[in-house]
Amino acid sequence: MDWAAVLGIAAVLVIMVRYEWPQLKPQMKREKTAYAVLTAVGGALALLLVFYPEMPGPTQGLDALYKPLVKWMDHFIEKRSG
Amino acid sequence: MIEKGKISASQMGKMLYLAILPTAILTTPAITFKFAKQDLWISPIWALCGLIVIFVSLRLHRMYPGLNIVQACERIVGRFPGKIIGFIFPLFYLYFNGIIVREYSEFVVGAFLIRTPLIVVSGSIVLVCAIAARGGVEIVGRFSELILPAFITLFLLIVVPIIPDLQVTNMLPIMPEGIRPSIEGAIVLQTWFSEFLTASFLLPFVADQKKSQKSVYISLLAVILTLIVSNLVTLLLLGELTGNYTYPFLTVARYINLADFFTHLESLFMAIWVLGAFVKICVFFYVTVLGAAQWMNLSDYRPIVFPLGLLLILFSMWVAPNFQELTHAIATSVTLAIITLFVIIPGLLFCIAWVKRRLWIKS
Repeated sequence: MDWAAVLGIAAVLVIMVRYEWPQLKPQMKREKTAYAVLTAVGGALALLLVFYPEMPGPTQGLDALYKPLVKWMDHFIEKRSG
Repeated sequence: MIEKGKISASQMGKMLYLAILPTAILTTPAITFKFAKQDLWISPIWALCGLIVIFVSLRLHRMYPGLNIVQACERIVGRFPGKIIGFIFPLFYLYFNGIIVREYSEFVVGAFLIRTPLIVVSGSIVLVCAIAARGGVEIVGRFSELILPAFITLFLLIVVPIIPDLQVTNMLPIMPEGIRPSIEGAIVLQTWFSEFLTASFLLPFVADQKKSQKSVYISLLAVILTLIVSNLVTLLLLGELTGNYTYPFLTVARYINLADFFTHLESLFMAIWVLGAFVKICVFFYVTVLGAAQWMNLSDYRPIVFPLGLLLILFSMWVAPNFQELTHAIATSVTLAIITLFVIIPGLLFCIAWVKRRLWIKS
């Protein structure tokens, strides 16, 4: 199942690159770099999510960042809905 | 300038209206009801964040014409801090749009296409939105102009047939514990009102600048009014039960039964939802792409649309393991984050810009 997902991701990446790359003109160096980097990040993240679906996400990051306030809000919500 | 298209002020207003309302109608009644109870319908009036954010983005645009908040930020606090904020904004828009895509697909899968995998629903809407966003701000603007009448008609088609079944006693007593519960209920709503910061990214493209101020305020009023109507209808029909449903307004649409002939009108609601979510995701996606292209100093934003679309799909999977945690996060940490980023930071920027301008005039 995992490997089917990997194949799917590879297919999506290939289609994306085959579609977009020829439209980029040779002098557009910055755009090419940006495109390559973003696609690589996307591919890497997709693979990570396939193999480690429980990987902590950005929401957990925000939770950690606002921990005291979130605790206070949770307490508050419980009090009001209880 | 990366974007050469122009939109009219009214198009911008319509874009903002559709970019804020759809998810607000869907999820807020359940969360707001926890706090406000029968004062549910009063909560949308406390749109403080919306007013602050609109004021700040209009004034900043007047001080720095043709620049959005990220570009203005570089002028206000210098290049390096400006670049940091310029990185955070598109990233947060991407993350927030991921939440929206997730909400959209969870709703479609949970209520209608029960046996379809989530990724099919989210993938298809992101693909459509990416194609629209690639067309530029003009295309997104025209889409919202096209979709708004349909949106309002369908909304009225749900609200009007339900009127005979409404029980006015459900809203009594009005404000038994004073004004406080309704304000507490409005805290979560501030997330949606803060989204009016998107105006700052659209203002530079408005052709008739003089009307833009009026148009944004009308948009805010329209959002408040629609939320009051939808919350009121939900409350008057469902009463105490409002808090038990994940999507109270969908339940309202399901309830409609005109002479055993017009039934299952929730398909209308589905239509509203898909149209609205389309514009919402489009506008937010466009802002992400534009912000990212400006941050990287690209000459064109079109090449990075599809890679960012892929990232958007991945973020929609990544934001939360399940829908319960997502709803919890929206009510707590996401609200806090969006208030920090969309209200407090722009507010501070505005204060700094104002003081700077004062000092500059004096010297």
